[in-house]
Amino acid sequence: MRPLLRYRLSCLFLACAATAAAQAQEPPVATVKVSTTRDPVDKSYRKMIKGMERFEREHAYAPAASLRFQLLPRTPDVKMEGITLRVAGDTVSVKVNVEPDNSFVLPRNEQALREDAAVLANRKTTSMTWRATIVSPGLPPGTRRLGDMRLECRVGVEAGLVSNSSPMFGWLSDALTGADDVCNSPKGNYLFFAERPVFAVRLRAGERSEVLPFSFLYAGGGLPRTELPFCDCQVLLDRTYYVPLWDASWPDDTLVEFDYMRDDAEVQP
Amino acid sequence: MSARALFLSLAMLSGCATSPLPPGTQVPAERLLASVVPGTTTKAELAAAFGATKTVVFDSGYETWLYQSPAGGGRYAEFVILINPQGVVAKTRQGPVSAPQP
Repeated sequence: MRPLLRYRLSCLFLACAATAAAQAQEPPVATVKVSTTRDPVDKSYRKMIKGMERFEREHAYAPAASLRFQLLPRTPDVKMEGITLRVAGDTVSVKVNVEPDNSFVLPRNEQALREDAAVLANRKTTSMTWRATIVSPGLPPGTRRLGDMRLECRVGVEAGLVSNSSPMFGWLSDALTGADDVCNSPKGNYLFFAERPVFAVRLRAGERSEVLPFSFLYAGGGLPRTELPFCDCQVLLDRTYYVPLWDASWPDDTLVEFDYMRDDAEVQP
Repeated sequence: MSARALFLSLAMLSGCATSPLPPGTQVPAERLLASVVPGTTTKAELAAAFGATKTVVFDSGYETWLYQSPAGGGRYAEFVILINPQGVVAKTRQGPVSAPQP
């Protein structure tokens, strides 16, 4: 269902694009010159603030953690060094500090909220994807904590970070990707990215330990190559995995462990 | 978008469904354990011995292959093989046991 759903969304996109192209061939009724415009898929500052508010409301999933956002590559040619970020409204512009790992904390600015500002990077918007990053301190090296990831999902969806969605079919994506739907359902499709190409993912809670099925890796393992550009896992496919956020039998303190394709962190495949 | 355009879009949408993916080829676990040796077994040898199966190929040149071994009660255990860009098995792993993978 996951690949099928995504494929259908892709097809809808193509269908709409074809319709738009046909309309583009019709003679224009009027010409309006616009000096500046926002990329329709730049991130909404209001939505990202809503994500931050959700983090505060549901902090119990990760009581000791703080919230950051992170930029990740989506297309093969994007340069991920030297990224700058700002919150831009009609009259307000606020610089956002981006760390070397491309993570950042979004400042709260009431004027930017009033002006329905956008969060803009100095890259083509579609060349990157975005995620919330919530990491509890003190975890064993190389592990993640399930409660942190449950909260990442809720914040990430609330903030509108997953770049597969387009306003073109916002009516559809809203129906399918509300944070509660996505993060509480086995069909939620919320993708996580490991630090390195991953071969296996294991959950561990006390004496209980289970390796996740193959279908939890690589966006389900069934994406045709032609469909990859519609997934924000396009260049991170070998780092992509799901975890059973919805399965309450795994407590928030469950550790998520990784077996990587290569054991040496220095040389990447 | 006009009603006609919306209809056309939905018509195209309905025609875009994929057929189910082929399942991981079923091979007894004993055969896999006896035959697949990391650092030695090649991709060609795998294909010759067990046949093609569900595979994911990455831009890095690595590949993962999924075989399924009968585990009783209509369930199957996964046997996943990592193949490096040189075409040699780099790692294997077993489990979990579940219903057959789609």
